[in-house]
Amino acid sequence: MADKNQTGIGKLEKSDIKKVYLRNLFTIQFGWNYEKMQGLGYAYVIMPVLKRLYSGDPEKMKRALKMHLGYFNTTPAMSHLIVGADMALEEELGIEAEEAITGLKTGLMGPFAGVGDTLFIAIYRAIVFSIASYIAMQGNPVGLIIPLIACAGVLWIRYKFTCIGYQSGRKLATGFADKISPITEAASILGLTVVGALIPSVIKYRTDLQFTMGEVTFALQDMLDKIMPSLLPLAIVGFSYWLLGKKKVDSTKLIFVLIGLGMILGNLQSMLTFVVGIF
Amino acid sequence: MQGVSLLVVIGLILYTVIAVVDQISIQCGLYTPLFAAVITGALLGDLPTGLIVGATLQLMTLGVATYGGATVPDYLSGAIMGTAYAIISGQGAEYGIGLAIPIGLLLTQMDILGRMTNSFFQHYADRCAENGDYKGVERANLLGLLPWVLSRVIPVALGLCFGEAVVNGVNAIIPAWFMTGLKTAGAILPAMGMAILMRYLPIKKYYPYFIIGFVLIAFGGATFTVMAAALIGFALAALHLTRVRDRVAVATMDEEEVEIDG
Repeated sequence: MADKNQTGIGKLEKSDIKKVYLRNLFTIQFGWNYEKMQGLGYAYVIMPVLKRLYSGDPEKMKRALKMHLGYFNTTPAMSHLIVGADMALEEELGIEAEEAITGLKTGLMGPFAGVGDTLFIAIYRAIVFSIASYIAMQGNPVGLIIPLIACAGVLWIRYKFTCIGYQSGRKLATGFADKISPITEAASILGLTVVGALIPSVIKYRTDLQFTMGEVTFALQDMLDKIMPSLLPLAIVGFSYWLLGKKKVDSTKLIFVLIGLGMILGNLQSMLTFVVGIF
Repeated sequence: MQGVSLLVVIGLILYTVIAVVDQISIQCGLYTPLFAAVITGALLGDLPTGLIVGATLQLMTLGVATYGGATVPDYLSGAIMGTAYAIISGQGAEYGIGLAIPIGLLLTQMDILGRMTNSFFQHYADRCAENGDYKGVERANLLGLLPWVLSRVIPVALGLCFGEAVVNGVNAIIPAWFMTGLKTAGAILPAMGMAILMRYLPIKKYYPYFIIGFVLIAFGGATFTVMAAALIGFALAALHLTRVRDRVAVATMDEEEVEIDG
């Protein structure tokens, strides 16, 4: 590595990696469509590499363009590892490694999506946006800084992913899913603890239902509180969790169920009064 | 009741454009209902309403994400319009939450339409590739941004411009019991976000940690905050990592020949 602008092997330069990183950051989903999903975006992201390697050879450029316009879909944050490894392969072996490159892209996008959706979407949101919302709910907009700070961290991680993917090429990329599993487990533990804590702190529903028996009035909520605080919110979450386990229930249907439940729970007292009034 | 001034409408449209770009790129958070409602509230001069609408919607939709490119309700547009309607009608935050959800559901179709439109650019790029025209492929991907932006900006612009008439009409029709129900629904809807997350996280394997988090706040809510629970969760996660590392270290010592590269 005599020249620090060189990446090590010679054909690609450091500025190419930066260009690919920035394109990956912003544009991989611009052309998202139901046929090739991120395929169009991937071709755009890797284009600085293709230009560097094949712009003198129209036939190679055609092959490369067709290959990279193929189906691709993974968690955007994880795509950097794949793109990085792809850069290394293509720099080293050229378009002749077409099968290896396609194999690498196709083989990694699925597992990486599994890990990435959990880490960068589910857990990330559970932690970052729940805390931000919690602060916002107290009437303080200052919590909105938290997602922005966290995002800066993610941008840094995504840059590192590009470099890691590139430097280690295929070897590390295939073993990556194993190495990351304890981290995924630890992150799940953190995520689940926060979800457990969110239920009583966010779902503040309390029933106002009261029974009058002669001189004495029983408030249902007081009785429930003696069993366990936040029993109703927990029950509603448990019910939602159970419903989501049903094959035919997705989040959109669950919204309708919960709105219906809200309609009933919100008017329970007047419904009761109405029923009692009949007798 | 006064309508929304033209300047505010333009501001909200510009914000929508930025938020859509954020949603399909770095996702720093501008696309979330939290930011959408807070910024709408600030622009309309009622930040507290924006904060409550945004926080509630955000918590409710925590687990709702476009895994694998699935379409989810458009809570970004829903949050902007819900918050705007709540403020200009003076009906309060719960009303905004109640409106944001059906609006978001209604606009789900716009997302599907946008994603379908992009097939056109994919085909254009495929044709360019046949000729080795890499500039055409680049152009196709950049043009793909248009359907994304338009699918959100058009409903928001229409909704804000004709919002006053819509809100007046809605207020005249909706009965009191429905509003009460909607408010209760707003209170229990965050259960959906929690339930989806529980489906997505390995709760069957790690349920004890879920119980710990719940008990901390349910019984200790007066002294504990979510941040405290998150710190305990972090400590538990760190303990887990240490245990795994020790186990690996022991296992490595047991087996003398360890092939790492295979």
